[in-house]
Amino acid sequence: MSRPLTCCIALCASLWSGAGWATPDPVAVVKSEVLPGFETLAEKAQVLEDAAQADCSPDSDALRAAWADAFDAWVRVSHLRFGPAEVADRAFALAFWPDTRNATPKSLQGLIAAEDPVVESVEAFGQVSIAARGFYALEYLLFDPAFAQESHYSCALTRAVARDTSEIAEAIFVDWQTFAQEFDAESDRYRSTEEALQELFKAVTSGLQFTSDTRIGRPMGSFDKPRPTRAEARRSERSIRHVRLSLEATESLALALAADAPKVAAEIREAYEKAFAEIDAQESPIFAGVDNPAGRFRVELLQAAVERVRTVVGAELGPELGVIAGFNSQDGD
Amino acid sequence: MNHHLTGVAALAIIAGPALAADRGAVLDTYADLAEAGYTDAAETAQALRKAVDALVTNPSEETLMAARTAWLASRAPYQQTEAFRFGNPIVDDWEGKVNAWPLDEGLIDYVDAAYGGPSDENEFAALNVVATPNFTLSGEDVDATEITPELISDVLHEADGIEANVASGYHAIEFLLWGQDLNGHAFGAGDRAWTDYAQGDDCTNGNCDRRADYLVSATDLLVSDLEWMAAQWGEDGAAREALTADETAGIVAILTGMGSLSYGEQAGERMRLGLMLNDPEEEHDCFSDNTHNSHYYDGMGIRNVYLGRYERVDGSVVKGPSVSDLVAEADVELDAELRGKLDTTMEKLGEIKAAAEGGFSYDMMLERGNAEGEALVMGGVNALIDQTRSIERAVALLGLDGVEIEGSDSLDAPGAVFQ
Repeated sequence: MSRPLTCCIALCASLWSGAGWATPDPVAVVKSEVLPGFETLAEKAQVLEDAAQADCSPDSDALRAAWADAFDAWVRVSHLRFGPAEVADRAFALAFWPDTRNATPKSLQGLIAAEDPVVESVEAFGQVSIAARGFYALEYLLFDPAFAQESHYSCALTRAVARDTSEIAEAIFVDWQTFAQEFDAESDRYRSTEEALQELFKAVTSGLQFTSDTRIGRPMGSFDKPRPTRAEARRSERSIRHVRLSLEATESLALALAADAPKVAAEIREAYEKAFAEIDAQESPIFAGVDNPAGRFRVELLQAAVERVRTVVGAELGPELGVIAGFNSQDGD
Repeated sequence: MNHHLTGVAALAIIAGPALAADRGAVLDTYADLAEAGYTDAAETAQALRKAVDALVTNPSEETLMAARTAWLASRAPYQQTEAFRFGNPIVDDWEGKVNAWPLDEGLIDYVDAAYGGPSDENEFAALNVVATPNFTLSGEDVDATEITPELISDVLHEADGIEANVASGYHAIEFLLWGQDLNGHAFGAGDRAWTDYAQGDDCTNGNCDRRADYLVSATDLLVSDLEWMAAQWGEDGAAREALTADETAGIVAILTGMGSLSYGEQAGERMRLGLMLNDPEEEHDCFSDNTHNSHYYDGMGIRNVYLGRYERVDGSVVKGPSVSDLVAEADVELDAELRGKLDTTMEKLGEIKAAAEGGFSYDMMLERGNAEGEALVMGGVNALIDQTRSIERAVALLGLDGVEIEGSDSLDAPGAVFQ
């Protein structure tokens, strides 16, 4: 059994102390690396809401395209799960995955069976189980044969989820306008530039951890028991795509943090390049090959390349910034 | 533990104000707390074993109630040991045997029709070993005609590589004593009848002899697992030795245990997720409705570790130099801040406990739209998140002593959250 030990404290050595620490301006990093992503998410989610309103049928090309664009935008900010995304369960409601309890189909089935009128009000729908909301719930409604059938109620449900998604995306973006100021000087939340930078650094490390352990690790399972059906968003064949998008996003943030440290930046870039090359080498968009030796080997190489990125970021960028990885929500089992 | 004064002085010159020598004493206290905690858990589990014996030899309403009471009594010391879990690989690798959760209880015994059958995630979710002496597991024929501790630990536990196949530990025993809680979000816990253990014609739900064998074997296993862990923290125990091998790594292990339990595990997986899913089964002690105590004593365990003080089941106190002392030496304000936040958490978890004991049980708090329940649970969640921030500050403070942790990469391999 593996119940991996989950501490993620790596103490920085103060051997470097005083000399040569990079101190990028956290406010500038937020402006270039955080705000645009949430703005795009808000815009794309609005398009999704409008598309569902115009045509709620599961095979609507316009609706599926709008959902895919908005989902892309989410994955690009999915490592930024702090501050406005953490308020009122917003990130969880947008993206409840992995779903080890099968809670998403169960919750959707419960709403449909009861024809629960909760779909009629934006406010009431905000109280519904996170498992029946957001991008992954919509994936079931649009792509799963058990759900993707047009009925009066499923149409109302699709519209409700799309509208709720748009509301949440908008709320996160609006709140970020003011929250960005918390990264300035000594706010209440971050007592020093280092604490502000640590939050951004943690976004990189926890984003990489999620991609490696969960997006890639879950379908891998073990050699004796590969679990291809655990691949993220496999119904819409987006699994590998999410790995790529999330790596692009954390690379961009890591490089912004390493702006004053060209040597570290070069190492980071090189590690990411290798990871992207391993993505290009994958044959299945949904990790379908994990149950045969050749396919599994390719996925193992990809995971190793992402692990290499984690090591470089943890061992090089952290000390450069003078921060520790700290705790994140993935600690625990 | 003796420290030569000259050694202390020499280290102080190199290491600055945080005395390296103090750290050894802090680690000793921590290991003493762990030893006392696991010993208390083992002894209360032995009492549970006696109560289980009385139940199966003389099944009655009274003996069932006595066994439930003994189970509840053992939870309080055990939960306080959870602060030792993250940060100590010996504990973390072992923990799943005694406290794994959530479980697909249909693996063990009969369940309500609404439970469903095998799921996409778990083919054996409804195996029902109590009623099934022979079955095939991952291609192998299993002979379960005799239900033994070995069958439970070596064959059934995490069967087919699925973590939800929890065959041993507190929650398996809890299910066998209480049964499923079929009250949804309404008041009430599991209501297994004592006749599930009656022999002969009085037996309800079938296979009472095998059910009794399962309960006895699972409890034997719990006792031996807890005794084993108590020994790991004894004078020459492996856990104590691993902790004290490197003083700075040991302090990191202490703070890691506090932070990981506070944030990812308790605030996230155990509390906030259940609230967000509105699922009445998303409570840690879901059969017995004891979750309020489970959360409360987890929080208390974190505070015990920081303050270097544990009140044992018999009322005696184990205490000594603590991480709090180390932090205070370097930054008295941060120590006050962290102690204050740990106290706030205990107040908030205490409010949940008081409400539950007053009839507003934890699964009722999880209901969709239950604002009062949400406020109570989120009070605990927010306090735990808040204390994690101060724990991080303590890590940064104590870490700046010129010592790099070797091998921290191997520690930094977490499982996914919210699985």
